[in-house]
Amino acid sequence: MQRTPPLQVIRHWLRKSLPFWLILPTMVVILIVQVYPALYTAWLSFQERKPKGWEYVGTENFERLFGAGVFMESIGHTVIFLVGYSALTLVLGFIIALLLKRTVTFSGVYITLLFIPWIIADIVAGLVFRLLVAPEYGLFSGILGDPHFFPPDGVSVLTATRPAPWFGDFPFPPSPSMIFLILASVWRALPFITLLILAALQTVPAEVIESARIDGASGWQVNRYITIPLIMPAMVVALFNLMLGGINGVGMVFSLTRGGPGTTTYVLSYFLYILGWQQLRFGRAAALAIVLAIVNWALIFLVLRMTKVNERSR
Amino acid sequence: MAKDTKITRRHVESGLVNLALVVIVLFAILPIATTILISFKEQADVLRSPPVIFPCDTLTESFNWDACRWAVEGYQRVFAPKPSRDSLFGFELTGNMVKTYIPNTLLYASSSALLVALLASFSGFAFSRYHFRGHDTLMTALYAVTGMPLLTNMMALYQMSVTMRKSISFYDDRVFLIFVYIGFFLPISVWIAKGFFDAIPRELEESALIEGCTPLGALFRVTMPLALPGLTAVFLMTFVGVWNEFLVAYLLVSKNEYKPALFGLYDFLSQNIINYQVIAAACIIIAAPMVILFLFTRKVFFKAMVEGAVKG
Repeated sequence: MQRTPPLQVIRHWLRKSLPFWLILPTMVVILIVQVYPALYTAWLSFQERKPKGWEYVGTENFERLFGAGVFMESIGHTVIFLVGYSALTLVLGFIIALLLKRTVTFSGVYITLLFIPWIIADIVAGLVFRLLVAPEYGLFSGILGDPHFFPPDGVSVLTATRPAPWFGDFPFPPSPSMIFLILASVWRALPFITLLILAALQTVPAEVIESARIDGASGWQVNRYITIPLIMPAMVVALFNLMLGGINGVGMVFSLTRGGPGTTTYVLSYFLYILGWQQLRFGRAAALAIVLAIVNWALIFLVLRMTKVNERSR
Repeated sequence: MAKDTKITRRHVESGLVNLALVVIVLFAILPIATTILISFKEQADVLRSPPVIFPCDTLTESFNWDACRWAVEGYQRVFAPKPSRDSLFGFELTGNMVKTYIPNTLLYASSSALLVALLASFSGFAFSRYHFRGHDTLMTALYAVTGMPLLTNMMALYQMSVTMRKSISFYDDRVFLIFVYIGFFLPISVWIAKGFFDAIPRELEESALIEGCTPLGALFRVTMPLALPGLTAVFLMTFVGVWNEFLVAYLLVSKNEYKPALFGLYDFLSQNIINYQVIAAACIIIAAPMVILFLFTRKVFFKAMVEGAVKG
C-alpha cells in the first residue's frame, strides 16, 4: 500500500476547497455590512434609548409609530408616489422604446443622449429641478405662477400646500411639489427602464409581427396581443426595479423638496431619516425600518411569484 | 406608382418617429441645458423676475447675441483660484470642492470599485464553475440581500460607526465607508460577474488544466483575461454608484476633510441660498466627469445593466 505524501494531501484539500476560499471574503463583507446590521436594526426596534443605555420596551416603538399621524400620511404619500412614478415611467418607457426600435439610423445617438439623466446623481438631479421652479427666480416659476395657464392663481411648486383631500385622510390629490417630485424621479429613472424594455423588444421575433400584419392586425393590435405579452417578463422586472428604487430612494426628496412644504412630500424613507437622524428617536426609526424591510420583502416575493407564473404559462 | 407611394409613406413615418424622438431627447436634456445656462450667468441675471432664459436682452431688443452677459462667476466661486508662484499654471485652486471633496470622492469610488470587482470576480468564478453544497441557497441569499432597504442597514451601521469612533483609537471614517460601499455593491456585482463567467466556455480552462496549469493559474491566466470586459463593467457600475451616492457618506463621515463631493454640495446649499449660479456650477462640476466617462464607455454600461437587471 502506498501512502500519499502529506504535501499532496494538503494540495488536494486546497483544490477541493478552492470555491470556499474564493467566496469567503465576499460572504464576510456581506455578513458584516448587510446581514448583521439588519439583525441589529430588528433588535433595536424593541429598544429605547435611556440615559443608562438601551432598554427593552416591547412593541412600544411599533405602537407609537402606528399611532403617529405623520406615519399614516407618509404611507399615503408613498403609495401615491409609487403608483405615479411606476405607471408614468413604464408607459413612457414603453412608448420611447417602441420609437427607438423603429428608427435605425440614429438610435445610438438618441439612446446616448437619453441616458445622460441616469448618470447624474439623484442629489444633483433634485437640485437641477429645484433650480427650475425656485420661487420667483426659477425659469418655470413665471409660467407656473401665471393664472392664465394654471387657474385660479397659478402654482408655486415648492411652497403651495396640498388641496383638501377627497377621500378621508388619504392625501389625494397630491400637492404640486409631490407631482413635481414624481416628474423629476421619472426623468431620472426613464432611461434605464427604456433600455430594459428596448432590450426585450429586440428579442420579439420580427416574423411573428410580420405574419400578424399580413393577417390584417393593426398596429395597436400587434402591440396589445403580441408585443406586450411577449415582453411582460421584462416589464415585471422593470416594475420591480422601479418599486424598490421608489421605496428606498430618498436622495431626490432630500435635495428637491426636503419633505416640504409642510409634510406634503414625506415618503416613508424620508420620514425614517427624519425620525432617526433629526429627532434621534432611533428605536421608533428602527421599527419603521423593519416595516420598510418587510414591505420590500413582500414586493420581492410577489415579483418572484409573478415571474414564475409567467414562465409557467409560456 | 404604387411603389412610389409606399416609399413616401415609409419616409413620412420615419420622419415622424425621428421628430418624436428629437422632441423627447430635448425634454430629457432641457433641465441639464438650463442648469448649464444658469451656471454661466451673473448674479444680477440669475435674480431677475420674471426670469430670462438667455442673459442676452438689452433695453431695446429682447435678444442680441453681442450683448450677452456670460460670466464664470459661479465657477470662480467653486474653484476659488488664487495666484501661487509654485504651481504650474501660476495659480492654485483653493475651493474646498476641488481641493478636498472631489479627491475624496475619487478615492472612495476607485478603491471601492476596485475591491468590488476583485471580490466579485472571485465569487462569480466560484459560483459559475463549481457546484458545492449550498450553491443555490447562497445565490438566492445574495439576491435577497439586495432587497434590504438602504436605511434599514444604515440604522445599525450608523450606530456601529458611532461606537467604533469612540472605542477604537485607529478608527478611520474612510476605511469604514469604503467597507460599507463594498458590502452594498457586492451582491449585484457577484450576479453580474457570474453571468459573464457563465458565458466563457469551460473547455478553455479544462485544456489549461490538462496542460498542467493549477486551478488558480487557470483562473488568473485564462479565465480572468477573458472576463475582463465583464469585470470592467462591474468596476464602472460601482464607480458611478459610489460617485453618485450621498446618504451613506452623509451619515457615516463626521470629519470635514473626509467629506465626498455630494456631501460638499449639500453644504454648499446652505451657504449659497440664492447664488443659483454657484450651485449650478457645482452641480455641473460634479456631474460632468460621470457624463464624460459614460459617453466613452456606454456599451459596457448597457450590457451590464441589462444583464444585472434581468438576472438579478
